[in-house]
Amino acid sequence: MRKRINWGYLGSLAISVLLAFAIGAVILLAAGFNPLEAYAAMINGAFSNARHIGDFLEYAMVLCLTGLACVLGSRVGIFNVGGEGQLLLGAVVGCQVGVWLAGQSSWIVIPAAALAAMAVGGLYALIPGWLKVKVKVNEVITTIMLNTIAASLCQYLAKGPWKNPNKNMVAATAQLDPRYWFKTLIPGSGLSTAIIAAVVITLLTWYVMQKTSTGYEMKLTGQNPRFAFFSGIKTDKIVIVCMVLSGAMCGLVGMFRVYGVEHLYRSSISNQYYFEGLTVAMIAQYNPVTVIFLSFFFAVLKIGAQGMELSAGVPNQIYLIIQTVIIFFMAAESGIFSSIRAGAQRKKARADIRRKESESHV
Amino acid sequence: MFEDILKSIFSAGTFNQMLRSATPVALAALGGAMTEHAGIMNIGMDGMILMGAFFGVLGSYLFGSAAAGVALVLAMGIVVGLFFALFVVKFKSDEFIIGTALNTFALGLTSFLSRSIFGASGTKGNPALPTVHIPGLDAIPFLGQVLNDNSLFIYLTWLLVLVMWLFVYKTPYGFWLRASGEKPETLRTAGIAPEKMKWLASILCGLLCGLAGAHLSLGQLQGTFAEDMANSRGYIAFACVIFSKANPAVAYGAALMFGFFDAIGLRLQDYISSDLTNTIPYIITIIMMVYVVVRSQRRKRHAGKRLPARQT
Amino acid sequence: MDEIAVRFSHVSMAFPGVLANDDVTLDIKKGEVFALVGENGAGKSTLMNVLYGINTPTDGKVYISGREVTDFNPKTAISMGVGMVHQHFMLVPSFTVAQNIVLSREPRRGRVFFDNAAAERMTRQLVEEYGLEVDPSVPVEELSVGLQQRVEILKTLFRGAETLILDEPTAVLTPQETDELFAVIRRVVRERNMTVIIITHKLYEVLAISDRVGVMRKGQLVGVRNTADVDEQTLASMMVGRPVLYDQLEKTGTPGEEMIRVEDLTVRDNRGLVAVDGLNLGVRAGEVLGIAAIEGNGQSELIEAITGMRRPESGRITICGRDATGLSPGDIRALGLAHVPEDRLATGVSRDATVTENLLTGKQRQKQFNRFGFHQRTSTIERYARELYEKFDIRGAGTDVTAGDLSGGNMQKVVIAREFSFDCPVLIIAQPTRGVDVGAIEFIHSQIIDRRNHGCAILLCSADLDEVFRLSDRIITLYEGRITGEFSGGFSKDEIGLCMTGSRREKEAVS
Repeated sequence: MRKRINWGYLGSLAISVLLAFAIGAVILLAAGFNPLEAYAAMINGAFSNARHIGDFLEYAMVLCLTGLACVLGSRVGIFNVGGEGQLLLGAVVGCQVGVWLAGQSSWIVIPAAALAAMAVGGLYALIPGWLKVKVKVNEVITTIMLNTIAASLCQYLAKGPWKNPNKNMVAATAQLDPRYWFKTLIPGSGLSTAIIAAVVITLLTWYVMQKTSTGYEMKLTGQNPRFAFFSGIKTDKIVIVCMVLSGAMCGLVGMFRVYGVEHLYRSSISNQYYFEGLTVAMIAQYNPVTVIFLSFFFAVLKIGAQGMELSAGVPNQIYLIIQTVIIFFMAAESGIFSSIRAGAQRKKARADIRRKESESHV
Repeated sequence: MFEDILKSIFSAGTFNQMLRSATPVALAALGGAMTEHAGIMNIGMDGMILMGAFFGVLGSYLFGSAAAGVALVLAMGIVVGLFFALFVVKFKSDEFIIGTALNTFALGLTSFLSRSIFGASGTKGNPALPTVHIPGLDAIPFLGQVLNDNSLFIYLTWLLVLVMWLFVYKTPYGFWLRASGEKPETLRTAGIAPEKMKWLASILCGLLCGLAGAHLSLGQLQGTFAEDMANSRGYIAFACVIFSKANPAVAYGAALMFGFFDAIGLRLQDYISSDLTNTIPYIITIIMMVYVVVRSQRRKRHAGKRLPARQT
Repeated sequence: MDEIAVRFSHVSMAFPGVLANDDVTLDIKKGEVFALVGENGAGKSTLMNVLYGINTPTDGKVYISGREVTDFNPKTAISMGVGMVHQHFMLVPSFTVAQNIVLSREPRRGRVFFDNAAAERMTRQLVEEYGLEVDPSVPVEELSVGLQQRVEILKTLFRGAETLILDEPTAVLTPQETDELFAVIRRVVRERNMTVIIITHKLYEVLAISDRVGVMRKGQLVGVRNTADVDEQTLASMMVGRPVLYDQLEKTGTPGEEMIRVEDLTVRDNRGLVAVDGLNLGVRAGEVLGIAAIEGNGQSELIEAITGMRRPESGRITICGRDATGLSPGDIRALGLAHVPEDRLATGVSRDATVTENLLTGKQRQKQFNRFGFHQRTSTIERYARELYEKFDIRGAGTDVTAGDLSGGNMQKVVIAREFSFDCPVLIIAQPTRGVDVGAIEFIHSQIIDRRNHGCAILLCSADLDEVFRLSDRIITLYEGRITGEFSGGFSKDEIGLCMTGSRREKEAVS
């Protein structure tokens, strides 16, 4: 029960990160950039001024919540790859609720919008969750398909029924009344009071997963569903509930993006943000605490990369490359390590026999 | 108006469009069929397609010929296949993680290189694959319009479907491939390393997905690369593979079905928002996935009924 | 005649933590049927896997037909004339008989194409030559187990085997199929002068089929005898090493109320076949009802249905007087049932969870282990786990390591500790000591009897007949999903053996 720091994991993570930056440097060189300058611009881009720090905190919040949403699913053995769609639907519906309720007190509007966003995200996740549990359809493909469907659907809503009354605004919904906007904490940046809610949700998620009987049952269900079912846990219910909660969390992130940053729905609400959260969750090996820490790290990288693009002209996608190369290295490291270990064990066994023989001869 | 819709749906143009939309999916599905037979759940096809699309255009841009583009794609396909197998077969990493990471990696790499080389707006109008005119085919009224004057790879796909089908079901290597996925220890005790077949399947998958991407950028879009242009086709291809139980011919049929719904969507754009019609192939994919599972479950139940309770 | 087919010279084979073969030296003569016997884990299969090239021995040499084996892989073994029929068949289910037989050496047409017609022709030829009737064009998945085994034998013959290894060939066969198999073995030995090595732990089979017999124990070859010179008794004591003398178990008390009642129960297996066929039974408080059956005769499905792991097709199950038919395992446990499952790795533990967590599972919602109904009381849980750990004599690196790090026996003790500590009136126990060392067996047995003496109703199922005899108050035999016999008081091994093989049919419901 007692938690110990997994030094092996930290070591391989550190090595992977270093190697990934080295590979990134090679690619930068090949594309004709000076890697040292690029990386310097990256650090500069994340920390040079308060606005960047605000942006990076906001992005860390997005990564952390989406990452935890992914962990929520994978903990119980269901991979929610559909967070992107849940996030977009949460954003567009959350936004429209604010538009519909214009004139009401923000004490009514914001909870209503948050609930609506969570409901939509949750229901949208219920489809693949239900299909997985009751019909046994692979959730990876269904959730990916639902992503594309949700993106088109939101696009349709933003261009059609819910479009912005201003003709110059294409593919965007009507703007929220400024009194519903979350208060910006660092002027000019995306950091808003949403981060307070995010911290609460993060702590709550961590608490439930790590400290409660429910979290314990979730973990067992993910580790060995047959054993969990055998021991009396209602595994079907737990899987569906976790999937719905995961979707609700993604929907809420969408709503946070609207009320905190964009103030209306358009496609820049999310640019595959959920997939970046998913990548963080994978690198964290679905450990919620690690997700929280890694979110900050990758948020620095991402915001830094965007700054780097502006200042040094290096495309920011180098960030995605570095992130995925870390995954590859960590996967390779465990593979190499286990084959080395198997070899060592064979050698030891052989030595044992020799020793035994020589002893019996004496 | 209803008549107009029907008329436009069942026009030669629709079926020609079906063929065009189906081809990249079909090529990738052929590759996916290989890894599926080898027992690898390959959801990294989307990334493989994207890399193919990019390197095709890059080769075409650098060497000024589509053939050079295709050559580069083939080289890239082998490298990607080897890379995928290294993790999934050699290191025994989680296929889901590696597949997802490969997709994101491909998105990052191609976008990065595209912006570095071509700038933010991408590239257009590079030397493209030729269209093929078959003399005499025009004489057949409807079919001529559908089948003639298509991009080279549409015809190549037909050939590849046949070749891959023969490979899987009619050659010893196809038997080994299927055994390596269905029951690898059988192959091992027969003295053939199943891993070898898995490596081969990965490489073939890399090649075929690369060709799918090359067709997309060099054929369909005439030498254009746009970021994330695979647009989930790899996942649709995966659904085709599952639906067809990795039979190349059936997978092609499944791809045609997607093409058909995609084409209908395009036809309906005059009446319904394209954003809504775009969703049709993806909805169909989900329905297919459900159908596949329900079908196999029903079959099992049916088998149970066929064999009555034992008589003693 | 006394030509040597296979020679093992000082062969040792070590796996991490286990010495599976310990300095084995053995000659097998050409044209004989050699039986290799020993308990589970004695190293029989490991030795044969060395011969077949699947294992590379850590030490020692192997000679086949006088030539030393230098490169251990199946391909070499096959080319040197060794064929092996594994316990789990090495057949591709979707391929036809002919396609399976020619796998890796397919006949070709025009160099690249598989010649299916030739494959079927060759198979038919083989079938006629050896008189092993089977249709070459049928997919293997549609064949019965006995026929699949026949395909395996044909496959080794096709590959030109002169020495045939059969790994527990009769474990999954019906008595008739066993007879047929033995007839085939006799024929290939007589007519083709083949050498057959048969691994088994059924001693009467050894006597029935073999010329010589080798006995293995704990990785060592403890003796080789002419079959004509031995009887079951001698072999058994060679296998075990010492005459098996367990402490007498003290059984007290008289049976009380009926706690488990099964009526007209029908259950289907994973393939949709009827596995339990209209079965009736009852178990009373303070008694152990043992199930004796050969693997695959419905005992697993029966237990899964009673415990809620499998939905019954029809019939009625009553636990402690309440209807439990079709409930989930959680609801059935709430009625007062605990369950030691037959497959501890798949069902009994979570290997990635700690020993503490595995011991807690099922009790996590109990008041003593959480505050306000959700917050886990970590220190109470840890204390509780340590208590159980000591009480059930679990040996490992403490309660903080993952269950996967424990040895099989200790993992089983974790399962027993958890399930027995529910203090339930009903216990369902399957394979309590599979893969468990002797010391632990003794302990587990005494725990089971302790529960019985405390008034627990116990349904016990084990592949180890001696275990069933030792622990049970009553025994029922199952054959093809039906009860074929019921015994109480002094058990006769012969009679029970006959009932298990279906030789004595259909005894009416036990109550």
